[in-house]
Amino acid sequence: MAQTGEQPSGLQAPLWRAIAVFRIAALVYVAILVIRNVGHYERPMLAWPVLAVTAAWTVVTTYAYANPRRRRWPLLVADLLITMGVMTSSVWIVGRAALEEGRPTLAVAWHVAPVIAWAVAGGRRWGIAAALLMGATDLAVRAHYDQAAFTGTVLLLLAAIAVGYLVRLAEASQARLQRAIELEAATRERERLARDIHDSVLQVLALVRRRGAGLGGEAGELARLAGEQEAALRKLVTARPAPAVEHVAEVDLVTLLDPYASSTVSIAAPAAAVRLPSSVADEVAAAVAAALDNVAKHCPPGTKVWVLVEDEPAQVTVSVRDDGCGIAPDRLTEAEAQGRLGVAQSIRGRIAQLRGTVRITSAPGEGTEVELAVPRAPIS
Amino acid sequence: VNAVEQNAVRVMVVDDHPMWREGVCRDLAAAGYDVVAATGEGRQAVRIAAAARPDVVVLDLQLPDVSGVEVINGLLQAVPGVQVLMLSASGEQQSVLDAVKAGATGYLLKSAGLSEFLDAVGRTAAGDTVFTPGLAGLVLGEFRRLAVEPVAGDGGAPKLTERETEVLRLVAKGLSYRQIAERLVLSHRTVQNHVQNTLGKLQLHNRVELTRYAIEKGLD
Repeated sequence: MAQTGEQPSGLQAPLWRAIAVFRIAALVYVAILVIRNVGHYERPMLAWPVLAVTAAWTVVTTYAYANPRRRRWPLLVADLLITMGVMTSSVWIVGRAALEEGRPTLAVAWHVAPVIAWAVAGGRRWGIAAALLMGATDLAVRAHYDQAAFTGTVLLLLAAIAVGYLVRLAEASQARLQRAIELEAATRERERLARDIHDSVLQVLALVRRRGAGLGGEAGELARLAGEQEAALRKLVTARPAPAVEHVAEVDLVTLLDPYASSTVSIAAPAAAVRLPSSVADEVAAAVAAALDNVAKHCPPGTKVWVLVEDEPAQVTVSVRDDGCGIAPDRLTEAEAQGRLGVAQSIRGRIAQLRGTVRITSAPGEGTEVELAVPRAPIS
Repeated sequence: VNAVEQNAVRVMVVDDHPMWREGVCRDLAAAGYDVVAATGEGRQAVRIAAAARPDVVVLDLQLPDVSGVEVINGLLQAVPGVQVLMLSASGEQQSVLDAVKAGATGYLLKSAGLSEFLDAVGRTAAGDTVFTPGLAGLVLGEFRRLAVEPVAGDGGAPKLTERETEVLRLVAKGLSYRQIAERLVLSHRTVQNHVQNTLGKLQLHNRVELTRYAIEKGLD
């Protein structure tokens, strides 16, 4: 809020215009009251110059506040002091006796404008400070401490608080809008980059990989490296965009699994999002990651893995199959019984919590398949 | 040599990337295919296909001018019975599914190796379907989506038989047709037929839907 005027939010300009309109309307009201009451004043002739000053200051502030660069403390302080001055002059012009009779000051209603200006420029706290100063001056000038006088000050305070709050709200929503616009721009830029990469780099890398695949030695190695980069880039440019909202109840399981795709890991999934409660999706993704880790740890490098995501009405099934060496079934159960199969354990644990099932099938030379099935609506 | 040339499969290559296009043409020619046309634009591809009369079109799914679906529709109209093998540099997504529904019979990632590519072209030319695991996953997902979708009209959603679902799942899990045949105790040909049937059902449903849509629009 301290950046007064430097970064005027979109909603500040109308607020300043509203203050100017209020000030002009208040000036008209003051003029009417002076004309009606001038006969009761102690020094009636002095009322006109003061009214002229009020009118002049109304014009000055209307123009000055219209420019964001001038909405700074010098102007705000001057605004407050001049308004307080006009109000204080009532003591001599209107006279103590008339004021005590209940005649209005020369700044009645008009004195609210600087308070609101402070609230708009500095937020709630500065608004309250200005309201207290102005309220105190008002009370001192009127020297008339009845309920109506206090009500005036209290209303002034409430107005300052409300306007300050409104301004903070406006700034927050402005910031949020700004963020959304930036995010959209970033997304669009990302899409443009993805198109470019897709049209050029990806194709060349794929070509290098293909042409070099037949060659042995260093050329073959280069081709393999190009292939890896191609897979990584492809993953980068085709990844489904993550949801922009921070706390989503449901997520697309496939967006969580996409990052695991590589030159050796293929991910097959429906075209539409596989929506799961985010906690469930996280657990399933973690279980898949554990299964992939297991393949990386126990199988020779270059072992291929296929992940299949199936979205059925009652359950979501994810299977992770590799073409690695596999394990004999009796050894699998044996290892599991002895608690040696840490990864299987962690997968089973995670899925059991979701009331799902895990099926691990394997045979020597045929690779291993881990199939996770999670019910769509777990009974809680 | 003459006999080979006479019987050589006629291939058209459509890809907007010149380096890639040339590479593919060279590879195909070296493998004994007759490359009858090569272009980088979808509209042009449809125009020249009628004259070039290819047996197989190797089609990049992401062309700069028109969508893959439009190119496939145009090609099938220009050369009835032409086989379309799609290639794409990015992964399997909605656009691939749409292209398959429009009538493409094969799909391969550009990162596939040369032998895999040539094998795919050969199989496509023979009228077989070429599926990647990713495409099988998409097709499975599409049948499940159609099954739960409220049915418009009387046609009903296409359904897979249990065997077809089983075969498709195994394809999606990366098993080769040979491995699937072994595991399910079927012939290689039967596995191939099952995969082809799944595609046929999807394409038929797509045509029915399009016709229904056209009639509805026409009656309005």
